Amino acid sequence: MLGEFTNSTLWQIALLAFGQAFLSVGLSLLIGIPIARVLFTYHFRGRGFILALVTVPFVLPTVVVALGFRSLFGDAIPNGLLLVVLAHAYINIAVVVRLVGAQWATLDPRMEVTAATLGANPFRVFTTITLPSLRNSIVLAASVVFIFSFSSLGIVVVLGDGSSTRTLEQVLLRSTSVLLDFPAAFAAAILQLVVVSLVFVISAQLSRDEPRATVVLERKQISGRKPIIFVTLTCLVAVIVVLSPIASILWSSISSSGGFTLQWWSDLANTSNIRIGSPIDALVRSLGLALGTAVISAILGGAIAIAVMSKKGFVVTLALIPLGISAVTLGLGILLAFSRGSLDLRGTGALIPITHALIAVPIVVAVATPSLRNVDPRRYFVALSLGAAPMRAWWTAFGTVFGGVMLAAGGLAAAVSLGEFGAATLLSRTDAPTVPVQIARLLGKPGESEFATAAVLSVILIIISMTLLLIVDRIASRKVFT
Amino acid sequence: MTHSILQVNDLMIGYEKALTPALNFSVGPGEILVVVGDSGCGKSTLLSTLAGVNPPLGGEILLDGKNLSGVPIHKRKIGLVFQEPLLFPHLSLIDNIGYALRAGGESRNAARTRATELLDWVGLSELAGQKTWQLSGGQAGRVALARAIAAQPAVLLLDEPYSALDPETRLRLLADVKNLVTNEGIPTIHVTHDRSEADLLATRTLTW
Repeated sequence: MLGEFTNSTLWQIALLAFGQAFLSVGLSLLIGIPIARVLFTYHFRGRGFILALVTVPFVLPTVVVALGFRSLFGDAIPNGLLLVVLAHAYINIAVVVRLVGAQWATLDPRMEVTAATLGANPFRVFTTITLPSLRNSIVLAASVVFIFSFSSLGIVVVLGDGSSTRTLEQVLLRSTSVLLDFPAAFAAAILQLVVVSLVFVISAQLSRDEPRATVVLERKQISGRKPIIFVTLTCLVAVIVVLSPIASILWSSISSSGGFTLQWWSDLANTSNIRIGSPIDALVRSLGLALGTAVISAILGGAIAIAVMSKKGFVVTLALIPLGISAVTLGLGILLAFSRGSLDLRGTGALIPITHALIAVPIVVAVATPSLRNVDPRRYFVALSLGAAPMRAWWTAFGTVFGGVMLAAGGLAAAVSLGEFGAATLLSRTDAPTVPVQIARLLGKPGESEFATAAVLSVILIIISMTLLLIVDRIASRKVFT
Repeated sequence: MTHSILQVNDLMIGYEKALTPALNFSVGPGEILVVVGDSGCGKSTLLSTLAGVNPPLGGEILLDGKNLSGVPIHKRKIGLVFQEPLLFPHLSLIDNIGYALRAGGESRNAARTRATELLDWVGLSELAGQKTWQLSGGQAGRVALARAIAAQPAVLLLDEPYSALDPETRLRLLADVKNLVTNEGIPTIHVTHDRSEADLLATRTLTW
């Protein structure tokens, strides 16, 4: 297997992916930072709506985003590096806005005023005071975007040109599912893991060792002509950027070369398109897998959250490790682990929900642990002192919060499963694809009906994902949760 | 030694609604005008307006006869020290003090030389290698003052500086301020809710 590391193609692909991820980081920061400034330092009507809107691309399945870009740009921008970088930036705006914005909200605006009174012009204030003060969150956001883009799969499969946009994740998938070249797959997985780990190490090195401000300051009202123009333009650009690909998918699902039509929606139930499988079957399958993933993740993640809720930070970090491993690598690991003897689950259909649960469990732990830690543990002892048995006392103290958290976390896990593409491509049987796999297959075929059917499935996925997230958001904003 | 004069004519301050009646006063070289008033009466808004952070609702601000209307903050030559020192945490103490000199186009070496002199002047030269957050409140307050002075402001505005410090340190720092303003002749406006500070510092007092 070591010989695989002397394969120059592998290194070439790693280098290409590195360059692509670097460009994706640059564009994400360029778009995300002004939006973070507007949404986290100014107070205005509609702010919450725009913040929710810029989060949407991050929760959309990657193949749906890819379809949106293909549909939006048509032949204007051919498949290739530019389209891949644009799509990555689109998905990751939310990462930059949320991470950088959260730190921006704690920066005292008088710091910038002080710099200005010392003679610094606005550009100098921004480059010498504002940006360096945001350094830790910018480094973190850049690392996350880099890792997502470096190990991208759905976007590069649909929007890539097959040469300049290749990623190690693609090599991994192709080696395992087409070429059956496992040494090559392991080499790609290990190289990818090394790069991801290096990014984490470099990110930690670049982060500044200084006390972290945690007090969120009151956002300022917009006054003056320049701030009004800046805020209005930034919000307008954010809304247009986020909605354009989604609107484009919607339009593709209700139009044909002859104009408006609902034919693609009414044809959905037809199984005539049997060569790539029935879309309805794929939808039912995906929903079943999402439900399975939600149940497994909530049980496993809930148990881990209870176990680590009173432990130190690094124990929680251990539970979060799978977040740094790509979906295809996890899928490959599960495939190998459950393909022998009595543990052979390949024919049972359980491999996908197990892999999706492995992806989702860290998210469940990350969501549940802080909420459980927020509950005053003295409630438990009060219940015990009133004569409740330990289990009943625990449930009295933590039960309401735990129930809410598990519902929310299960919803998140289901959303992750619905949109996941890499592991599902590896583990799906040819005749039993999930919806994202089905969409990618449809996009790989020429023809108007294939493209439109992919658009219809994408619209359905968008609606289900957004509904799940709205429910999660509603549960999360309930008082008992905080 | 500066010879600037700040003059305020019929100045209206506030956000949408005026917080005070029209203000008229002037501050000349070596003078310390202490504005005394309760919290929320508009003292800090006055300083923000003079510094150019908030636009005035009416009236004019003249520095050496020149109307400051429309002049951006960084071109006013008005120094502002807030209640908290607000040192830039990512910069060393020397670079904090030398910030204004670098913004004014001085070379790094020249800025550092002058900043080292000022750090010595505030009696903290032995702390040059410290991080800003490792300083005590009193030390940080001295650095903030040195940083404002390094900019060679035509006017100095002090927004209840050091009020979060213990009384002993606060009095010592205010005595430093008085010496500095007297020696350098910088017209200064100091706002506070503490009347005893007016007794200590003021060449004139304005009570709201």
